[in-house]
Amino acid sequence: RSGSKLATTPADNYYLARRRTLQVVVSSLLTEAGFESAEKAAVETLTEMLQSYISEMGRSAKSYCEHTARTQPTLSDIVVTLVEMGFNVETLPAYAKRSQRMVITAPPVTNQPVTPKALTAGQNKPHPSHIPGHFPEFPDPHTYIKTPTYREPVSDYQVLREKAASQRRDVERALTRFMAKTGETQSLFKDDVSTFPLIAARPFTVPYLTALLPSELEMQQMEETDSSEQDDQTDTENLPLHMSTDDSGPEKENSSVLQQNNSLSGSRNGEDSVIDNPYLRPVKKPKIRRKK
Amino acid sequence: AAPHEGAMSNGGVYVLPGATNGDVKPVLSSTPLVDFLMQLEDYTPTIPDAVTGYYLNRAGFEASDPRIIRLISLAAQKFISDIANDALQHCKMKGTASGSSRSKSKDKKYTLTMEDLTPALAEYGINVKKPHYFT
Repeated sequence: RSGSKLATTPADNYYLARRRTLQVVVSSLLTEAGFESAEKAAVETLTEMLQSYISEMGRSAKSYCEHTARTQPTLSDIVVTLVEMGFNVETLPAYAKRSQRMVITAPPVTNQPVTPKALTAGQNKPHPSHIPGHFPEFPDPHTYIKTPTYREPVSDYQVLREKAASQRRDVERALTRFMAKTGETQSLFKDDVSTFPLIAARPFTVPYLTALLPSELEMQQMEETDSSEQDDQTDTENLPLHMSTDDSGPEKENSSVLQQNNSLSGSRNGEDSVIDNPYLRPVKKPKIRRKK
Repeated sequence: AAPHEGAMSNGGVYVLPGATNGDVKPVLSSTPLVDFLMQLEDYTPTIPDAVTGYYLNRAGFEASDPRIIRLISLAAQKFISDIANDALQHCKMKGTASGSSRSKSKDKKYTLTMEDLTPALAEYGINVKKPHYFT
C-alpha cells in the first residue's frame, strides 16, 4: 500500500498518514520490548491489530453507552469494554508507570484538506439552522446558480440593411455558380475555362419573335377586354377604363391576333370573376393619354 | 436488604454477601482507575491523541474527555506490547534451547519474525496465516 503512487484523494492521505503513525508506534513498542529489527509482515500484522483493537474498543464502548440510554461514553463503559475484550484492567496503572521511561515519539499529523482561497468564488450560502455545524459547507454559488443569457436581436437599421444586402448577394452568387457548374458554360478567356464561367446563353431560333408578340400580361388584358365587349356582363369596374385607353395603334393590331383565342378566354374570365384575389388581379397600367 | 449490606462497604467495591470469608475476590474495582485517570493528564501515551481519536470517531465513539482517549490508547499499547513480549520470549526460547554460546548472550540481535509472532498470537486466540510468497 505504501509503494503505490497512484492518485490518492485527501481522504486517502489522511488515512495513510494515521496508518503510518500507527506503524511508528508499533515499531517503538517493539523496540521497547527489546527487539532490534522486525519483519515487515510482522509489523504490518501488529499495525493492523492495533488499528482494529482501537476501532473495536470504540464501537463496543459506544454500544455499551447506548445500551444504557446515554450518548456520552464514560469511564465505566470503557472499563466494561476492556473486560469484555479480555483485558486485565488492574495491570493498566502498573504498565503506565513502567513505560513512562520510554521515549515518546510519533509526532501528531497535521490537517491539510482546505481548498485554497484563490479557487473559491463568491460567498457560499450559509447553513440553514437545521444543519449541524460540522457538516461541510455549501458549494460555491456558481455551481448551482444559472442566469439565462440571451442577446438582444440586432435592430440597427444600418446593420440589418447590410446583412440583407450581403445575404442577397451571397445567394445570387451561389445560385449563378451552381447553374454554371451544372449547366453549359461559355468562357470569356480563350485558354482559361474554369476561372470565370459564364452561363451559356441559349439562342432562340427566331430571335425577333419575342419583340413582336405581346407579353403574357398584355395578352391577358387583351383577352379580358375582348370578352367584356362580347359579353353583356360587366366583370369589373376597371374594364370600361381599359376600353377607353385601348386607342393606341399597336394594341389594335394585337387584338386581331387575339380574337382567334377568344374561345379559351371565356372560361378563364369566368374564373376571374369568382376569385377576386388582389394579388392575382392584372396590373393596372397607367393611363396613357395621347394628345390628338 | 442483603445486597444493601454488601454494596459500598469496601470503599467502592461491590462484594457479594457470601464472599466475606475471602473465597471470592472482587474482580472489578472502579476507584483505582478513577484515580489513575487523574494521573493520566500528565502522561502522554505513545499513540497521539489525534490518531486514536480518528479511529474512535470512525467507529462512532465521540469522546468528551481527552483522558478517555488516552486510556484507550494506553490499553491498546499494552495489548501490543504484551504480544511483543510473548514473541520475545518465544524468540529467546528458540535461541537458547539448543544451548548456544554464553559469551555472546543472545540479547543483542532479536528480530521479530512471523515464526515467533504466530504462536504468540495463537495464545490469544488470534490465528494468522501469511503466505510465504506471492505468485
